[in-house]
Amino acid sequence: MARDGKVVRPFAFFRAGAQSDSRANRPILAFEDVYKYFRKDQPTLRGVNLVIERGEFCFVTGPSGAGKSTLLQLVYRKHTVDAGRILFAGRDVARLTSGSIPFLRRNLGIVFQDFKVVKHWTVFENVAVALEILDMPPRLVRARVAEALERVGLAGRGDDRTESLSGGEQQRVAIARAIVTEPALILADEPTGNLDPHLAIDILTLFEEIHATGTTVLFATHDHSLIGQRDHRIIALDDGRVLEARTGLRSWPGASDTRPADVRPGVADARPHEGSGLRVVAGSGSSRTGSSRTG
Amino acid sequence: MELKTLIGRAKRGLREELRLYLVAITSLSVAFLCVAGALLALTNLSALAERWGQSARMTVYLRDGAQAADVAQLRVVLESLPEVREVEELSSEDARALFLQHAEVSADLAALPPEVFPPSLELSLASGIAPARADAMAARVAQLRAVEDVETYRGWFDRLESLLSAGRGLAGVLALLVGLCVLAVIGNTIRLAVARRRDEIEVLKLCGATDAFVRGPFVVEGTFQGFAAAVLAVLVLLVGFLTLRSELDASLAALTGIRAAFLQPWMLVALVVGGALIGAAGSALSLRRYLTV
Repeated sequence: MARDGKVVRPFAFFRAGAQSDSRANRPILAFEDVYKYFRKDQPTLRGVNLVIERGEFCFVTGPSGAGKSTLLQLVYRKHTVDAGRILFAGRDVARLTSGSIPFLRRNLGIVFQDFKVVKHWTVFENVAVALEILDMPPRLVRARVAEALERVGLAGRGDDRTESLSGGEQQRVAIARAIVTEPALILADEPTGNLDPHLAIDILTLFEEIHATGTTVLFATHDHSLIGQRDHRIIALDDGRVLEARTGLRSWPGASDTRPADVRPGVADARPHEGSGLRVVAGSGSSRTGSSRTG
Repeated sequence: MELKTLIGRAKRGLREELRLYLVAITSLSVAFLCVAGALLALTNLSALAERWGQSARMTVYLRDGAQAADVAQLRVVLESLPEVREVEELSSEDARALFLQHAEVSADLAALPPEVFPPSLELSLASGIAPARADAMAARVAQLRAVEDVETYRGWFDRLESLLSAGRGLAGVLALLVGLCVLAVIGNTIRLAVARRRDEIEVLKLCGATDAFVRGPFVVEGTFQGFAAAVLAVLVLLVGFLTLRSELDASLAALTGIRAAFLQPWMLVALVVGGALIGAAGSALSLRRYLTV
C-alpha cells in the first residue's frame, strides 16, 4: 500500500477535513435508535439516538452497567447492534463485513482503562504497531512515532520497556498509539479509571490537546469530579437510555438531581447548545423507528 | 504486509517463545526421525529387491539317470538361448559340498548321501530379463527330456516384493500418523504461544490489523518449527547412519551383496519441505478461533 512513502488508506475520507464533498458536513457519528441485548429480557442499550459532530469533545457518563462501554464497543464493532444503525461518517458500521472491520478500526483511535499495551514491547514498538499495520515505510514510522511520543510527553522514551513505565505513562503510550495514525475519532473507554485524580486530569488535558487539533473525542467516564472540571458536552446514560445531553456539568441542576423535570428517558439530540447547554427533545424511549429525533 | 515486517515479527515471536519452541522442535524431530528411519529401511530394501531382480538366476534340475549326452545336448540348447548368459553344471557331489559349505549345518546333515542332492544346471540370466519372459523360458525348458524341474526363485522374489509393499504401506501409515502428530504438536505449541501473546493479538486487532496480518508471523513460526524439526531429524539419522555404516556394510554386503545407502536427495527435500508445510498448516489451523477480537 505504501508507494513513494505516501500511504494510501481505505476509508481515508473518514479523516476530518480530508474531503470537501457533502460527506464532510455529515456528523462523524450517529446512533439511530440503537438497541443492544446481551440478555433477551434486558437490553443493555435501548433506543439510543445520538449525533456526534466532527471535532466535538463529548463525555459519555453514567453509572456502572449503564452501557457506556457497550456504546463505544458497538462503534468499533466489538459487538454488533441488534436493532438500529450506527453511522460512522455516513457508513453503517453494523453492515460492514468482517473483512472490512480492520479498515474501520484504522480510522479510530481506541484507548482503554487497562491501557492494552504489550508490556514486554518497547514504547516505540507499542506505538509503531499501529503504523506497521498500515504498511507504512520504516522511516516514516520512526518520524511519526517520535512525533506522537512528543505529543504525549514521552519524547525520548521510545527504547524503554513499557512494563518499566508508571500507569500514567503506560496510558500515554496507549494514547500515542491511538493518535499516531491521526484517526478521525478517538474512543476513550474509562481511560482514567486506573489512575489517581492528579494523573486523570493530566490525561484528560492530553485528550483536550488532541481534540484541539480537530480530532473528535468520545470520552467515557463515570468520574463526575473529572467531568465537573471541564465544560464539554455530556452524554449521560442510565439503564441503556440516553437521559441527558448537555454542555457542562457546572450548569447541571444539582449533583443529586440528574434527571431534571423536563428531561425524560428517551431520545435526545445531543449536540452542543448555546445558553442553558441543555437540549432535550421529546421522543419515545421505546420507539424503534428513530423518526422522533429532531434537530 | 511487507515480507521484512513479517519476518521481523516472526523473529521476535521466536525469540520471546524460544524455550517453548525448542521443546516442540525436539519432540517433532523424534516423530520425523521415525519417518526418516522407515524411509531409510525402505530405501535399502528396495535396493536389495532391485539387485535380486537384476541378478536373476534359474536352476534346472536333471532327472535321475539322465544320460551324459542328453545333459550335454541340453547345455548346448540352453547356452544358445538369448535369455541365458552363463550355464554351470553342478553334479550331486558338487551340490552337496556347496550346501555343506554355505549352510554351516551340523554333522547329522553332513551324513546325507549325495543322492539327496539332484544334479543341476545353474543358469545366470542376461540382465534386464522381465520376470514373465523368464517364466515362459522356464516353462519351455521344463518340457525337455532330461529336465526334472526348473526353479526360477520367483517365490523368494515375490515374498521380498510383498515384504517391500508391506513396508511401503507401513511407512505411509507412519508418515500419516507423524503428519497428524506434527499438526497436533505444532497446533498446540502455537496455541500456547497465542495464549501467552493474547494481549498482543488484541492490540493488533484493535489497531485494525487484518487476520492475515495477525496470522502471518505465527504461520512463519510454525513453518520454521516444522522445518527445523525435519532438518534435525535428518541430521540425527545421518550421524547415526555414518556411525554404523561400516558395521552395516560388513554384514549387509556379505548377506545380500549390497552396500547400505542413505536417503536419496529427493526424499531429504520432501521431508524438510513436508515438515515446513505441515508446520504452516498446523499453526494456521490453530489460530482460527483466536482471531475474533
